Amino acid sequence: MYFRTIRNDILRSKAITLTTMLFITTAAMLVALAVILVVNLTGAIDTLMTRAQTPHFMQMHAGALDMTRLTTFAGKHKDVADFQVMEFLNMDGAQIVFPGGSLAGSVQDNGFSVQSEHFDFLLDLDGNIIQAADGELYVPISYMQDDTTSIGDRVEVAGKALVVTGFLRDSQMNSLLSSSKRFLVSHNDFAALKDSGSMEYLIEFRLHDLDALGTFETAYAAAELEAAGPTLTYPLFKMINAISDGMMIALLLLVSLLIVAIAFLCIRFTLLAKIEDEYREIGAMKAIGLRVSDIKQIYLAKYAALAAAGSVLGLALSFVFRNALLANIWLHMGESANAAQAPLLGGLGVLLLFGGVLVYVNGVLEQFRRISPAEAIRFGIVQGKTGGIHHFNLSQNRLLGVNVFLGAKDVLTRKRLYVTMLTVLVLAAFISILPQNLYTTIASKDFSTYMGIGDSDLRIDLQQMNNIAVKATDIAQALENDKDISRYVVLTTYTFRVRMPDGTQRRIPVELGDHTVFPVAYAAGRAPTAADEIALSVLHANELGRQVGDSLILLVGGQEQQFTVCGLYSDVTNGGKTAKAAFSDATADIVWSVISAELVDETRVDEKAAEYATKFAFAKVTGIEGYIVQTFGSTIRAVAQAARVASVVAVLITILITVLFMRMLIVKDRYSIAVMKIFGFTNTDIKMQYLSRAVFVLLIGVSLGTLLANTLGETLVGAAISFFGAASFKFTINPFFAYLLSPLLMAGAVLVATGGGTLDAGQIIITGIIKE
Amino acid sequence: MKRLIVGENITKAFGAGVEKRKVLDGISVEINAGEFVAVMGPSGSGKSTLLFALSGMDKVDSGYITFDGVDLSRLSDNALADIRRRKMGFVFQQPTLLKSLNLLDNIMLPAMRDSGEKAAQLAAKARVLMQRTDILELEKRDVTQASGGQLQRVGICRALMNDPQIIFGDEPTGALNSTAASEIMALLSEIHRTGTTILLVTHDVKVAAQTERVLYLFDGKIAGEYRPGLANLHHDDLKAHEEGLTAWLTEMRF
Ligand SMILES: Nc1ncnc2c1ncn2[C@@H]1O[C@H](COP(=O)(O)OP(=O)(O)OP(=O)(O)O)[C@@H](O)[C@H]1O
Ligand SMILES: [Mg+2]
Repeated sequence: MYFRTIRNDILRSKAITLTTMLFITTAAMLVALAVILVVNLTGAIDTLMTRAQTPHFMQMHAGALDMTRLTTFAGKHKDVADFQVMEFLNMDGAQIVFPGGSLAGSVQDNGFSVQSEHFDFLLDLDGNIIQAADGELYVPISYMQDDTTSIGDRVEVAGKALVVTGFLRDSQMNSLLSSSKRFLVSHNDFAALKDSGSMEYLIEFRLHDLDALGTFETAYAAAELEAAGPTLTYPLFKMINAISDGMMIALLLLVSLLIVAIAFLCIRFTLLAKIEDEYREIGAMKAIGLRVSDIKQIYLAKYAALAAAGSVLGLALSFVFRNALLANIWLHMGESANAAQAPLLGGLGVLLLFGGVLVYVNGVLEQFRRISPAEAIRFGIVQGKTGGIHHFNLSQNRLLGVNVFLGAKDVLTRKRLYVTMLTVLVLAAFISILPQNLYTTIASKDFSTYMGIGDSDLRIDLQQMNNIAVKATDIAQALENDKDISRYVVLTTYTFRVRMPDGTQRRIPVELGDHTVFPVAYAAGRAPTAADEIALSVLHANELGRQVGDSLILLVGGQEQQFTVCGLYSDVTNGGKTAKAAFSDATADIVWSVISAELVDETRVDEKAAEYATKFAFAKVTGIEGYIVQTFGSTIRAVAQAARVASVVAVLITILITVLFMRMLIVKDRYSIAVMKIFGFTNTDIKMQYLSRAVFVLLIGVSLGTLLANTLGETLVGAAISFFGAASFKFTINPFFAYLLSPLLMAGAVLVATGGGTLDAGQIIITGIIKE
Repeated sequence: MKRLIVGENITKAFGAGVEKRKVLDGISVEINAGEFVAVMGPSGSGKSTLLFALSGMDKVDSGYITFDGVDLSRLSDNALADIRRRKMGFVFQQPTLLKSLNLLDNIMLPAMRDSGEKAAQLAAKARVLMQRTDILELEKRDVTQASGGQLQRVGICRALMNDPQIIFGDEPTGALNSTAASEIMALLSEIHRTGTTILLVTHDVKVAAQTERVLYLFDGKIAGEYRPGLANLHHDDLKAHEEGLTAWLTEMRF
């Protein structure tokens, strides 16, 4: 009997049943994909970093190197398993010429290396250690992805001809977020190129035990060894490798969460409608002594069947699509060792979703308990739902036309039903607006200030060279005399030592200068202005255990000096561990210098950048927009694409749900419609009532959704982004889209769907319903 | 005397093919303005169908119906709706009320559609009707908070809101106990006395005996017509009318 009931029920409400299943299927697919991606990503990163033997600790260093001292240090330190110094020949992008053009515009530090002997290997796409022959050039994988070059291309590097023989995976510099890229050449070719670039050293250590990393870092700093450059560690490499695919996974999970929510709403809506329809029958079943659990079982069985079908289908679909999503991971990192477990775990995730659906259905069905058999049989309608709207009466109505009044009244009377539709609209607004806001935010210049990049027009980098201070002064002088430049500032990073509470010392890079000219965004506090103030990057502050207001002791010119932490900011540049201060000290070691400038006419950025690049050939000059595009370009494009898709999906969901909702209402309301028609309401009247209901829900839903997406959405995205090191986050909202286009699109979708869904609302045959 | 409704040779069938059944089989009727007419007949004989046809709620297959001189078959759905709203009132066996509105609002609903008058004026009018039918104290209540007899009176009030020329009733007393039924009949008689035409479908001899003319429907045709007697009845005459009608009905059935 149960089976027959279920079958009849499904046949009678084909559309909504199918839709619910569709959403469960999609949710199951997304959940499975997310799980499969997570498993593959973590596995592939591990495989890559194990094969390549990524260093546990790496100090980049530009300048003279005391190899004996380093070797002695490595030999004496008990935690060191292996040690090497790799040469990294930094070359100006203009010197690297592919058939399609040079890398002059690249913001990456492009450089050349030979294959390492001990660890930190550069791997080919099969995961093998590459041995480059003379004349061969192996190119970082990211240049394959952005179509800079392909195998067989002839490349000219500082006048020397090389052939692209293959692409390489670099376990520490794969990601666009890491600012250096290593090309691999043979020993002979490397020697030939040596004079065309500036040498930088990668001082690398492998430890016996990764847990000893903290103590090792301290020891390295305390030994006052070479440190003119960023320090990077194993966990950081791991994070950088995970970021871009991690973002995709986060997006998948977010979307699947929304889809699950919509699936739940469909279920809730169907069940509530069911309860309203079959109130009398359910009451009768209770009256003749069936238990609530018996009745619930009928419906639970229906949804179990539905959810099971959806889950299996979703899982199957995830296997169809997974290769496309895994392609990026495979390309960058290769296969995962535990790939075999992925489908299994994906299945587990889907099982969890299945369980969730059942728990939810069970929860909604609890409402059966509230049905009183006596009332159900006597009145046949759900009781006690008019609460609070007794004052909304036709007799007191002065403002609204009778159709609008009836529409509004219906919405207020059946709040629970309409809240479901409202929630769908709110969610759809979220789906439509959130990715779009994310896109405008990432693409905006302001965004860089959350990433540790000040909001200027032009950026001039002086790195890995001698006499940085003098060169910086030259450039500053030129900027000072240039009437096209409205403001500029020189920020120079020096290494200082900080005294830790346990008495040990650690080196930290501190950027000195006026930080108020092009300020970054501060997660807490403000920029340093007084000489005894210091601002720390969030990652750095966490590591040092400092907050705003705490003090910090730096060794300045050999003297201990106390600083107050005045602000915290997010930073994704230079390994994320930086500091900013306003004092000056000519004796410290310069690491690099960044000069930022603002133009009177910002449209002339390219022209000015070219001018300064020619005038100061040793410096790397970029327009900030270009800098951002090259650093976040692929992310921005991906998000823009996702945003467009999301808007379309939001509109489709809105139309689908509205049509279903209206169809269902018409079926449920046929009695009321018949009554009104008998008493002389026309088909147009009836349609007007439905449109009023829709408009009423639409107004609330879309305004609420828009508002929430623009506010709560900010918090949500902020939380997700802080995970990657950016702490404070504000949406840059495109008001035209977020407050006008998107609401209009959704309003249009609802109105069209309501119009279409209620076309035949008045066509009900009255006499068939009012039969005596 | 003015003829309010004229139906000529009306036929209507349900179903198709072998299933096809003529429910109205060439019926001709005239209802005069101010008349009080009852339609009787066995269950399934087509009484409700006839009532729906005469009120323009349902289309007929052939024949034609005029209401107040207007040919209903030529009118659009919307025009028919306008006539029902402005010139007709309906009372059914079950209280056909909207559950989302309270009793007062249910009464006002059809009148509100043509909101020439202000809501307050309409409410006042509705209250007068409620007073007259003795349900004024229920105005704020929901549909679920009144008895069957009370709900029927709400239905009558609603039917009267637009001062209709005719009230159609399809067994308005059918679901009531005898006390409630006679109260409703008394009310309808009173409305009739003020000049409103009433067409009533009923099974109840007691009810039919209080009308001026009884049509007997059988197998889709009008099998006979009976006039219980005088229009304005005194209570003592009722018994006599009932007996006469019962005798006639027995005759009709065989
Ligand atoms: N929509 C319909 N489709 C098919 N047959 C119908 C339809 N409506 C009514 N009928 C049939 O038409 C016949 C007359 O129905 P109608 O409702 O007019 O009877 P009635 O005289 O009012 O009966 P009762 O006294 O039981 O109310 C019945 O046999 C019924 O089965
Ligand atoms: Mg009938």
